[in-house]
Amino acid sequence: MSSATRSGRTALPPEEPLIPQRRGGTGAYWLYLLPGFALLLIVVIVPLLWNVYLTFTKWKGVRTPEFIGLENWQKLFTDEDFWTSFQNSVWMIIAMVVVPTIVGLIVAALLFDVIGRKFGGKVGSFLRATYYLPQILPIAVAGIVIGWIVRPGKDGALNQILSWFGMPAYDWLGQMPSALIVLMVVMVWVQLGYPVVVFMAALQRVDPELYEAAELDGANWFQRFSAITMSIIRPEIFVVTLTCTIAALKVFGPVYIITRGGPAGSTLVPAFYAYQEFFTKRNVGYGATIATVLTIVVVIVSIVFIRVQNSIERKERAGL
Amino acid sequence: MARNTRRTKTLAALAALTATGLALAGCTPGGSDEGGDGQTLKLWHYESEDSAMGKAWTEAIKIFEEETGAKVEFEEKSFEQIQKTASQVLDTDAAPDLMEFNKGNATAGFLASTGLITDISDAVDEYGWADKLAPSLQTTAKYSDDGVMGGDAWYGIPNYGEFVGVYYNKDAFAAAGLEIPTSYDEFVDVLDAFVAKGITPLAEAGAEYPLGQLWYQLALMEGDRGFVDDYQLYKDPVDWQGPEITSATQTLKEYVDKGYIASDVSSIKAEDAGVSFINGTSPIFVSGSWWYGRFVNEATGFDWTMTAFPGADLSLGSSGNLWVVPENAANKELAYKFIDITMRPEIQAIIGNNGGLPVAADPADITDPKSSELIETFNGILDQDGLSFYPDWPAPGFYDVIVQELQGLITGSQDVETTDDNLGKAYDEGTADFR
Repeated sequence: MSSATRSGRTALPPEEPLIPQRRGGTGAYWLYLLPGFALLLIVVIVPLLWNVYLTFTKWKGVRTPEFIGLENWQKLFTDEDFWTSFQNSVWMIIAMVVVPTIVGLIVAALLFDVIGRKFGGKVGSFLRATYYLPQILPIAVAGIVIGWIVRPGKDGALNQILSWFGMPAYDWLGQMPSALIVLMVVMVWVQLGYPVVVFMAALQRVDPELYEAAELDGANWFQRFSAITMSIIRPEIFVVTLTCTIAALKVFGPVYIITRGGPAGSTLVPAFYAYQEFFTKRNVGYGATIATVLTIVVVIVSIVFIRVQNSIERKERAGL
Repeated sequence: MARNTRRTKTLAALAALTATGLALAGCTPGGSDEGGDGQTLKLWHYESEDSAMGKAWTEAIKIFEEETGAKVEFEEKSFEQIQKTASQVLDTDAAPDLMEFNKGNATAGFLASTGLITDISDAVDEYGWADKLAPSLQTTAKYSDDGVMGGDAWYGIPNYGEFVGVYYNKDAFAAAGLEIPTSYDEFVDVLDAFVAKGITPLAEAGAEYPLGQLWYQLALMEGDRGFVDDYQLYKDPVDWQGPEITSATQTLKEYVDKGYIASDVSSIKAEDAGVSFINGTSPIFVSGSWWYGRFVNEATGFDWTMTAFPGADLSLGSSGNLWVVPENAANKELAYKFIDITMRPEIQAIIGNNGGLPVAADPADITDPKSSELIETFNGILDQDGLSFYPDWPAPGFYDVIVQELQGLITGSQDVETTDDNLGKAYDEGTADFR
């Protein structure tokens, strides 16, 4: 890394305006930040530290926790369910991040660039809202409907459709890997609206003349998409990917409603596993250990994402 | 700026992750005996208004207020709500004076062992409640210091009982030319006969309790009271590769293989299984007396009956949920008076005439013939000391383990031996603290 780049890191970016500094220091400003810090301390830091402390204890949720050292942490390494739950997190990331982001990008570009131009903004907005609908729908309600669709036997809507083509009924949520696949499909459906809405908002920033100029130069839709759309909405892609990855790691509601971790624990995810240990087995110490690992993973993922994004932004600025 | 926003988001994510821990950790002991005015009874229960117990207790509240002049401050709770959060609330001065709570080692026993609910033995002696309760009903009301049921101290009083038996669609039997079985061999013959006619005879649900209860009933067919005491009261270690458990798991697998149970029940919930009996799809349903009232109202398209599991000396079942008095209750004397009213014949009769199983009713007060039939079956089980509790009771969280392991068995993803091994491992781990 050259010294020029290093000095570039510390220099203020040209587009960020200078905030005028008041003479006499910034001591008074800290006073205004105190309530925020107090809340942060009470709501986040103290419970976090307490949670970490509980990982070294055996506790049933009442009376005094019993200190047991590293026992909970040792148990994690040989606990198959724990490792299964994190493996399933990878599938959740595919269903909640990878697929929705890629498909969302294409859908947003099509709605904005093709549908919006041919049928007007209202049609585009209407379609955007329909994609966003599953995000608004409470998962408890959606779960009931999904249950009807994938019911085993001849009553299930999906099995009825299959029967029209002479295919046998299948126990979608009762077998592996179909239970996990159903959960993943549901999560794609739930998540898709979020990137579509964010990407479409980002596309408003694109100067239409850019597209027109590219079209005049003979660029086809895919070339315009990759050269213009992708580069302009890159910050939004980062935000969507980061927030969706965190959501995928923490996913709880859909698993609780649709599969309860079954069949035979095959759709277990860390948050649901921690919940089971906390509330049904009353192994609060072990539940806290799982939650702490999950927290560490989320923090690491967030730091990596933010660093990668900053690095790309720096390179872009340096390029400019 | 953007970076700060993301940092805040990360912190918010951390807050969300630790919220569960906070919910448990935030409550600290702070009980108080203050606030007892002797005029207000703070009461929590989770029975729906139109259930047998709900109706009985509404009447009991009315009588209590008339007779004592005190006011009942009733808060309707859900079963889940009390189950999951009661232990934290009971440790504070927000505890009620009287509360309905689930019976068993992992529930009422746990509260008893932590000192969160009151040893009410003196009140039991004073009011003479023990005389009204059969011995197997008393087991779930009395706990040891470690919270194991069947102990010496009274921690709760049940008003009603429950058991698991077999519901038969009599019309479907008649149509198939079959008789209601009276022995286990006849039961199996009936299952074979239905399968031969292309009918899957048993309504089942692998995602919830019915399958686990059938599994335990099959273990009880091979076991005796000694097995139940070992399994439920930890008298001796349970052999998870022994004849009772092996037979139960093997037989359950055969039920699936032979088509007695549909192969696709692993994701079915109890409600769906019950409905398949109500709508006549399945002619036989092995489940609890808690369905009885509903079947009276809804399974009206055909004639049906319920018996204890054929050929069984032991049946799943117990007292119903318990009235418990929190240690931090402000008005314990009022609580005892209320419990006493719920044991009166007129209140017990309301339970009995609405599809419930009263524990201290005068048989002459039960006017409904269908209810009489049910109570007669229950009393038959009580007379032979046949109540054997439920398979998930011995260890906290064992319910989920049973569901998951039996799902593994019936979907063919694991064999009988592995299933028993896994169950045994979870059982031993979960019961270690009580031994």
